[in-house]
Amino acid sequence: MKKPRVLVVDDEPQILRFLRPGLTAGDFDVITAATGAEAVKSAATMAPDVIVLDLGLPDKDGKDVIREIRAWSKVPIIVLSARDRESEKIESLDLGADDYVNKPFGIGELMARIRTNLRNRQQTDSVVNVFRAGGVVVDSLRHVVEKGGKPVHLTPKEFDLLFLLVKHSDRVLTHRQILTTVWGPAHTHDVQYLRVFIGQLRQKIESDPADPMLILTESGIGYRFSSEIELKGN
Amino acid sequence: MADLGDRRPSPDALLELAAKDKRGKLKIFIGAAPGVGKTYAMLAGAQRLKGEGKDVVVGVVETHGRAETSALLAGLEVLPRKTITYRGHALLEFDLDGALARKPQLIIVDELAHTNAPESRHPKRYQDVDELLDAGINVWTALNIQHIESLSDVVATITGIKIRELVPDTVVEEAADVVMVDITPDELIQRLKEGKVYLPDNARRAADNFLQAGNLTALRELALRRTAERVDDQMVDYLRQHAIEGPWPTADRIMVCVGGDDLSERVVRQTARIAGALNATWVAVHAARPAEGALDAEKMKRVDSNLELAARLGGEVSRLAAKDLPTEVLRFAAQENITQIIMGRSAPGFLKRFLGRSLSDEIMHQARGVSVHIITDDSVALTHFRRQRPRVTLGGVAVAPFAVAAAVLAGVAASHFLKLPNLSMIFLAAVLFCAVTYGTWSAVIAAGLSFFAYNFFFIQPLYTFSVASPHELLALFVFLLVAILTGGLAGRVREQSIAALSRVKQVETLFDLSRKLSASVKIDDLMWIVATQAAATAMGQSIVLLEKEGELAIMAGMPPEDNLGTSDWTAARWALNHGEVAGWNSETLPNARFQYHPLKTPHGIAGVVGIRPSEAKLSAEAQRMMEALVDQVSTALERTILADEAADARASAESEKLRSALLSSISHDLRTPLSSIVGSVTTLRSLDKKMSKPVRDDLLANIEEEASRLSRFVSNLLDMTKIEGGAVKLGKEPIDVSDAVAAAIRRARQAWPQREILAKIGANIPPASGDAALLEQLVFNLLDNANKYSPVKGPVSVSVTAERSDIVLRIEDQGPGIPTEDLERVFEKFYRVKGDDGRSPGTGLGLAICRGIANAMGGSIKAESPAHNGLGTRIVARFPSKANQ
Repeated sequence: MKKPRVLVVDDEPQILRFLRPGLTAGDFDVITAATGAEAVKSAATMAPDVIVLDLGLPDKDGKDVIREIRAWSKVPIIVLSARDRESEKIESLDLGADDYVNKPFGIGELMARIRTNLRNRQQTDSVVNVFRAGGVVVDSLRHVVEKGGKPVHLTPKEFDLLFLLVKHSDRVLTHRQILTTVWGPAHTHDVQYLRVFIGQLRQKIESDPADPMLILTESGIGYRFSSEIELKGN
Repeated sequence: MADLGDRRPSPDALLELAAKDKRGKLKIFIGAAPGVGKTYAMLAGAQRLKGEGKDVVVGVVETHGRAETSALLAGLEVLPRKTITYRGHALLEFDLDGALARKPQLIIVDELAHTNAPESRHPKRYQDVDELLDAGINVWTALNIQHIESLSDVVATITGIKIRELVPDTVVEEAADVVMVDITPDELIQRLKEGKVYLPDNARRAADNFLQAGNLTALRELALRRTAERVDDQMVDYLRQHAIEGPWPTADRIMVCVGGDDLSERVVRQTARIAGALNATWVAVHAARPAEGALDAEKMKRVDSNLELAARLGGEVSRLAAKDLPTEVLRFAAQENITQIIMGRSAPGFLKRFLGRSLSDEIMHQARGVSVHIITDDSVALTHFRRQRPRVTLGGVAVAPFAVAAAVLAGVAASHFLKLPNLSMIFLAAVLFCAVTYGTWSAVIAAGLSFFAYNFFFIQPLYTFSVASPHELLALFVFLLVAILTGGLAGRVREQSIAALSRVKQVETLFDLSRKLSASVKIDDLMWIVATQAAATAMGQSIVLLEKEGELAIMAGMPPEDNLGTSDWTAARWALNHGEVAGWNSETLPNARFQYHPLKTPHGIAGVVGIRPSEAKLSAEAQRMMEALVDQVSTALERTILADEAADARASAESEKLRSALLSSISHDLRTPLSSIVGSVTTLRSLDKKMSKPVRDDLLANIEEEASRLSRFVSNLLDMTKIEGGAVKLGKEPIDVSDAVAAAIRRARQAWPQREILAKIGANIPPASGDAALLEQLVFNLLDNANKYSPVKGPVSVSVTAERSDIVLRIEDQGPGIPTEDLERVFEKFYRVKGDDGRSPGTGLGLAICRGIANAMGGSIKAESPAHNGLGTRIVARFPSKANQ
């Protein structure tokens, strides 16, 4: 099988200095870009399978790079950003980035994210109606949810919410993305509303709703459905 | 519908009521004479209220040692008096501040007409009372009828005694209640004989005249009438407030014409009484031709004081200026719906009757649809239209004999070829010269002297004062007449042109001021302009104070003044708090050195301008100038304050932007090395086996380099904090600059072996004072910068020279240089010049630290670029030598 190709966009040479050997050793084909213009060009010509993008670039804003690439490509984009820059991350995700990693990060964490996003991309490419993640089965055709083989009763909205999270499992969805998809564009700011539904959903599918393992909170940004339990089980 | 509308309570009447509600209520016990029992009645009332549980306090009461009155004080709280020492005498006065602090429901303050001791806040007690009322305290007070201002002339006529302690009519009119305390004159005289009435010494002298049955009856009638009028007013007020259709008379409006003569004062008082009786509003008007005011300062002062009197008596005040006075006065009357005009007229003089009508005649003649009252007084000479007497100046008197003597000499010389009558022209010339240069008086003296000199030296028989032929005598007198007339005319022209000049000067001054004010942006400049101008206007001293965070502070003074006495601070504070003029020559705290005028802006009162004229009183003209000045300054001040606020807002937005830029810059500089260290370490740990040795070594090197970069950044940050926190102090010991530079170069050569560094250190460099380690750090930072920003092959040169008393350090590189607009900004914290690739290698702190060190050592540092041939940067640092400090 061909090695997945990763485009790393960062202007700091010392970051590239460890990313390049690290990702190469992790079985990726690594190409790099130091500026936004170079990144857009490489994304078009080198056909990367995933893009790792530092938002602080010398020539243009990293968010503009996302916007330009998203105009024609669905290639997964993972954003590198500081922990305290929530708004920057939310904007990037809303613009179409798929995930983010807080700086400073360990190489293992970055590679796990890259793999998740590569796998999700293959899933969304094919038409699938039944999702299995974290011991939960969601059948979109029959509108049935099972947990550990037992049916769980959900309201239509709860079902839509869970279906959306599971479909993008292991990826971050911003509040705005969830609200727009499930409730429509008029409700993009009703975060409190969303919190209530997530709470109800956790009551129904989590083993311990106080310590959720499936629906994880990304503070200040959104939610992520974790399929790690199943992965471990496998 | 119309009926309904008319029957609504008048809004003005209700508003007046509302304003009265907030203030304390004043109750006046009025009596015809001392001894009628006002104090007794007041205290008896106070005891009753006290019994009802009201908070009653006695502020000041004169019992004059009488037992029955003193007995009424028992059980009442009496405020201690304040001792004021004036010229060695201890005076016991009412303690206004004590009363305000105590803030009772009701306070008793006897003798409303009392004049306070000279050091008090207000000259008059009724002003103290007004302040108590403002503070919401109810006041009871006592007053004798002869102290009411509008009645003072009537009282003087009845009793023959001029009363000095007067209370304005408005005080009585605005009182909530007036109680008449009355006994019959016989009874009063009886009490007087029994010694039950105490009279102060000065009154005792006049007592025999004053307290006679006839006088007392007249005074009693005045008091009864006055009270009755008041009761009538209250009735009308009640009808208005309750919208009862009343039989009140159609609204009369009275206009009184006020001039600068003695009669006018009487006319004003008379008008006040008539208006009171008619329940009419009234307005006092002074009409003058535009140039008149400047000609006669004395007259203007009297006009001002008459208008002030009118205002005190409750009239409105207006000034008119026109060439055609009767027409203007009648136009104003029509515009103001005047129904009655009151004027004064004295017996017209011979010339006036001969030449034409006086103003009052003219108005009577032209008036249509108004009643005109003429008030006459033959004891006062007509001064209304009399021209001002020219001023006699010493120079004018002295120069006249010289001018005439010169004319005699010229006459003697000319007599050889001129006929006798023509010689008089030479004397006429001398008279005109005196008129034009020194005014009318000088001309009149010159004319007289010429008359005698001409006679003495030129008319037969010579050298005697006798005249031989009759036609020469006639010529001589004609000459005298002509000389006096032309001299007088020329003198008047001169005086008018002087007056015109002074007007022009005033207008120019105001124009100049407004120009200067609009040009000044800084508040300090503004304050100096104001101080200078106010001092010039007052022809004395001035001081400007502004309020800053609740404190008054001296901003400027002319001549500069740093200290003010307590009374001045109090007066300035008073003017600020009350928005009224206070201090010297005003009604409040007249003992202060300056007179304080509040500067009113729409945001409140921003400060005060104090003036102290060198003369005893501020002229009417200067007063008007001062008012104009204060108005203009207030506007300018408002504008400046707004501009300052806008600038502050901009600056704070700017600094907020800078702060967030700083924060993001620091976080980036700290995070990048951390990211690469954490990344490299995790890479090594998890993927160690999959990587070759050179790759592993490179990662380890990366960790080492990034860790040292991080450490450098942190120590730079700490240095910066130290310098900014003021921890770096000038050392006492001299330090050797050459040594420190050499040490830094050694360190730099170790750090970058391939970099060529050319050092040129001059001989006999004097020692500097400071910290050797910091100086070395400074040089190293500069070398580090030169290394970072220039190609490796270009050498970096360092030179140290002694220039005059300074030690100068120069460091040059061969790099691309610094853009001119960045030459100063490179010394700012976290500012970095972007490289060609948009990247900036440094921390943005190096040069900021250098500047901090240089400044701490008393020196300076700057950047020059290009250094040579359009390339390179030269950093120049200067330090004063130790010997120079």
